[in-house]
Amino acid sequence: MAVAVSKALAGLGFFKQRRAKTARVARDRIAFMPIVLVGCGLVLFVLAHVWLRLQVVHLGYELSTTSNLQNQLEQENRELKVELATLTSPERLEATVRARLGMVEPATGQVVILP
Amino acid sequence: MKRSSTTRIRSRITVAGLFFIALFIVLGLRAFQLQVLEGARLKRLGERQHLKELIVQPKRGTILDRSAEPLALSLEGQSIYVRPQRLKGAESAGHALAEALGMEVSEVSRRLNSNKPFVWLKRKVTPKEAERVEALNIDGVEIYPEPDRYYPQGQLAGHVIGFVGRDSRALEGVELHYDAYLRGESGSSRIERDALGRRVLVQGVEELRIPPGSDIQLTLDTSIQHLAEKELEAVAVKYRAKGGIVVVVEPFTGEILALANYPFFNPNNFTAQAAAQRRNRAVTDSFEPGSTFKAILAAAALEEGVVSQDDLFFCENGKYPFAGKVIHDSHAYGWLPFSKIIQHSSNIGVTKVAEKLNKQRYFKYIEKFGFGRPTGIDLPGEPPGLLRPVDKWAPIDLATHSFGQGISVTPVQLAMAYAAIANGGILMRPLVVRRAFGSDGQVLWENQPRVVRRVVSEKTARSVTNILKGVVDEGGTGVMAAVDGFEVAGKTGTAQKADPARGGYAAKKRIASFIGFAPADDPRLVMLVIIDEPEVNVYGGVVAAPAFRAIAGGALRRLGVAPDKPDSPPLPVSRESAAPQIERKSGPVGQRADGSPEVPDFVGLSLREAMAKARELKLRVELRGTGYVIKQSPSAGANAEKIEALTLNLQG
Repeated sequence: MAVAVSKALAGLGFFKQRRAKTARVARDRIAFMPIVLVGCGLVLFVLAHVWLRLQVVHLGYELSTTSNLQNQLEQENRELKVELATLTSPERLEATVRARLGMVEPATGQVVILP
Repeated sequence: MKRSSTTRIRSRITVAGLFFIALFIVLGLRAFQLQVLEGARLKRLGERQHLKELIVQPKRGTILDRSAEPLALSLEGQSIYVRPQRLKGAESAGHALAEALGMEVSEVSRRLNSNKPFVWLKRKVTPKEAERVEALNIDGVEIYPEPDRYYPQGQLAGHVIGFVGRDSRALEGVELHYDAYLRGESGSSRIERDALGRRVLVQGVEELRIPPGSDIQLTLDTSIQHLAEKELEAVAVKYRAKGGIVVVVEPFTGEILALANYPFFNPNNFTAQAAAQRRNRAVTDSFEPGSTFKAILAAAALEEGVVSQDDLFFCENGKYPFAGKVIHDSHAYGWLPFSKIIQHSSNIGVTKVAEKLNKQRYFKYIEKFGFGRPTGIDLPGEPPGLLRPVDKWAPIDLATHSFGQGISVTPVQLAMAYAAIANGGILMRPLVVRRAFGSDGQVLWENQPRVVRRVVSEKTARSVTNILKGVVDEGGTGVMAAVDGFEVAGKTGTAQKADPARGGYAAKKRIASFIGFAPADDPRLVMLVIIDEPEVNVYGGVVAAPAFRAIAGGALRRLGVAPDKPDSPPLPVSRESAAPQIERKSGPVGQRADGSPEVPDFVGLSLREAMAKARELKLRVELRGTGYVIKQSPSAGANAEKIEALTLNLQG
């Protein structure tokens, strides 16, 4: 009788324990979910951050190349301005039109000043 | 059994957990140590590796002439420097560098073996040289970007523009006077570099954008300047002169249109020229004005009412004892009216006028005309000239000052004094710079014309102008300054040069000058021509006056001033073949029945012919189009006196 009772109790306890274990696992899982989610979020966030950093560096290179190009073009522009100014200096122009085009200074009356 | 395995697993989990917790604690502590305790130091060390200081060179502003022609521009040049301590294999590097830079091997080796941490190898190299050095890729030899200044017009207005020396230091002229505006700011910015040394602009480019210097626009007109320099050189060479100066001023604003000094100075190559040659003598040097100063006396005497144009003075037939000395005239004159005294430039005559005026009153006008103190021109190194206070004048000084001896003036002072006579009696401050622009083209500031004071009344100024017109007329000393088609007023000068070694005046050295303005009654320019120590001929009327004529003629044309004398009919230009088929029916200028002049028929005339005809009739013309006249309003036959303006439609 006593054995039967203890068995029954043990059996009861066993069942109770198993039930309790299953419930705890389920409860743990539920409790664990937010941590998993937060973890995943964190990983995603870190990945996004790394991606953004890479983008920034990549754009930094692009910016550097473009800024170099800009400097180069500005320099070229200034060089061309110097060249233009040198080529159109009055001294050179006068020598060129006299020698190549045979032009001369106009006499006073040849120039008509328009109103 | 089951229980014991569960316990074991648990304990293993616990151990692993503890291990990891310990590991994280260690990591955390290490992170704390690295980030917090040593963070600042380590960050600095790291930055030293991947951040580099980038020096942004200031961009010097451009200098432009009045029509925006560039006169000075900056380009990015390159210089090569060495850090000898970083250099490996100085010998082989020396040979390679000497070849790349076209330098002596010994010179390069000397620099490479220097004890200094930083040595310039070559400044301002050509782009090709820089490329060759870059290709050598020697450790310790680096290229430094340095701004380089170019003066594309060469010697043109070199003295006015000035120049910039090494390390962007402005040394002369407008470059120096306006350095604060032109210079621009230099700045530095830290940029990231990757492992290969490439620039990564992760912070953007904002920090690299440092505002450049402002652009400066001068009042100079490049074409008038060129003309002035060309003629000045021609005269100086012809008369074998030591030097020469031309100053051209716009009389109503005080703007300097041209300022030339011969021998010229090319700022591109400033080291090759002596310091004396770089000096802008038109501003920095003073000289005795000689007879050109007689106009100042004339203005003072007329303003004070002590003489009138027709008052007669006896010129003592060429010799006049005064204050213990004898005053001479180059030609002997008897009685001369005041206007003729100036026209013939009689020293005795002006001495007598000065006696009537007295020295206090004369001195007052000399000062009022701006002599004895700087004009305030915006160029460096201007002296006040030499004017002794009136209480220190010796008795003879009244006479000598009346014909421009014993007083020193700068060419700019003299030009401004004549500008005051030309513009109706107002002394203006001379200007070389008009305005400054920012990098986006907006005007930052403007130099407005500034009146210094009224010196004489308009009436006096007009009377002096009339007297000065006589100088250039037949019989005057300045006939050779007459410009075709324009009335010129001016004065010649032939001054002796002081001899600093012996004292007194040098026997043969002269300064020939001419100063005048044109058109006399509506002046557009005042011009001073000074020829220093001409050898072939010394007279201002012969040496300087023709240069005035040549420069003024061209400059007035450039300024678009129509001739004011009727004796310069337009020359025909044959282009008949280009004429459209319009029947030409222009006849002589007719008269209406009531005797008033009638508007002639302009249809079919070329623009040139139409303008000549309109000028003959003194008709104001409004033009529409170019080519040949196809329509006129009012039509032919209308009363020419009653119409306000004649409108001509042209085509072809």
